[in-house]
Amino acid sequence: MIEVKDLKKSFEKLDVLKGVNIKIEKGEKIVVIGPSGSGKSTFLRCLNMLEIPTGGEIWFEGEQVNSKKTDINRIRQKMGMVFQHFNLFPHLTVLQNITLAPVQLKLQTKEEAEANAMSLLERIGLADKADIYPNMISGGQKQRIAIVRALAMKPDVMLFDEPTSALDPEMVGEVLNLMKELAEDGMTMVCVTHEMGFAREVATRVIFMDEGVIQEENNPKDFFENPRNPRLQEFLSKVL
Amino acid sequence: MEFFGSIWDSFYQNVIYEQRWLFLLKGLGTTLLISLVSIMFSTIIGTFMAFMKMSKYKVLRAIAVTYINIIRGTPVVTQLLLIYFGIFGSVDISKIAVAIFAFSINSGAYVAEIIRAGINAVDPGQMEAGRSLGLNKVQTMAKIILPQAIKKILPTYTSEFIVLIKETAIVGYIAIEDLTKVGDIIRSRTFDAFMPYIIVALMYFVVTYALTKLFGILERRLAKSDRG
Repeated sequence: MIEVKDLKKSFEKLDVLKGVNIKIEKGEKIVVIGPSGSGKSTFLRCLNMLEIPTGGEIWFEGEQVNSKKTDINRIRQKMGMVFQHFNLFPHLTVLQNITLAPVQLKLQTKEEAEANAMSLLERIGLADKADIYPNMISGGQKQRIAIVRALAMKPDVMLFDEPTSALDPEMVGEVLNLMKELAEDGMTMVCVTHEMGFAREVATRVIFMDEGVIQEENNPKDFFENPRNPRLQEFLSKVL
Repeated sequence: MEFFGSIWDSFYQNVIYEQRWLFLLKGLGTTLLISLVSIMFSTIIGTFMAFMKMSKYKVLRAIAVTYINIIRGTPVVTQLLLIYFGIFGSVDISKIAVAIFAFSINSGAYVAEIIRAGINAVDPGQMEAGRSLGLNKVQTMAKIILPQAIKKILPTYTSEFIVLIKETAIVGYIAIEDLTKVGDIIRSRTFDAFMPYIIVALMYFVVTYALTKLFGILERRLAKSDRG
């Protein structure tokens, strides 16, 4: 589904990604961990071209994402993204946040989009918040609505960029639970996170990034129990 | 009593005698005409210049930066005189049109910076969120960035409008009979300096104060979604 070949990204003189290679199949749940500055967020943001790669290739469903000929807006409709700071639209109600893109892009009529949004809100138990503005709800609720906003586009893959890092500890659980439900429904997911428990429980593959390359990748059991890379061993000893 | 009597005499001489209040109102009308039409054009010019300055094309950026720097770096009186005598000197054209032209160009540079600052003040995550949903740049600008930027633009835009109204007082330099010039003419007829100018000042104040209040109401309406 997603294939990344020798992906490179530099900011001015700083090389953040120095050649990342990975193939992600449909239905996989990839969790990317690594110290800050390792390039894991940059890697994720390159997948939907929020960062423009300086080298290498990214392929998504048979199309090269980082090609001038590709309509990136059409690709992005199929790649949902969830941000660390939610990035809900503060001037729109919760419902409008969810329906804006599908209606603007003429994928759904206003009525369809609203019905779809309401059923998504019901699913996460926030249907009563439909008509209020994002500044009146908690961080955990904001992030769950941000997830639902991405889901409303019916994406084929969901990208999560540290979705729980900006949350108060007591709100982390509700967001992770929703992500687990998504995983169980079969959604393909790529998630940058510091939640080791989530990685252990949900990931089909865990990836350790450091110094701009993938240092190690494995199934969660072997990844956490038998880390081979010395940097990963050191990293795990600090975080677990 | 004598004091109030002399104030009334002065008021009568400068405002009521020979229907001078009509003359004053006509001056106010000219001031408002120049200000209102100019702010409309300057908003259009400013919007274009703001987007040009944020463009990815170097040429567009260079044009906008040059325009803004030159206009903001020279006095508006000089610009008005240059445009009136230098550019339209040998052309038969209404003075008011020239004043509107000059003030539109002048205010456009300030409005450009106000709009650009307002757009830049919106969290970059908003653009990213819009784009990540598949909206293109124009859609994201129109539906997500601008509605938020307007709230940030409005207060400084209001003060630019008020500055513009007051700055049009220099059109007397090209012999337009605006509010200030009318005050001046009345002074030259009545040989009384205090009363005409105080009346003129009051009239400016009433207009600018009403505008401040009006935009204040608009700001509070727009702030609806910000209240927690």
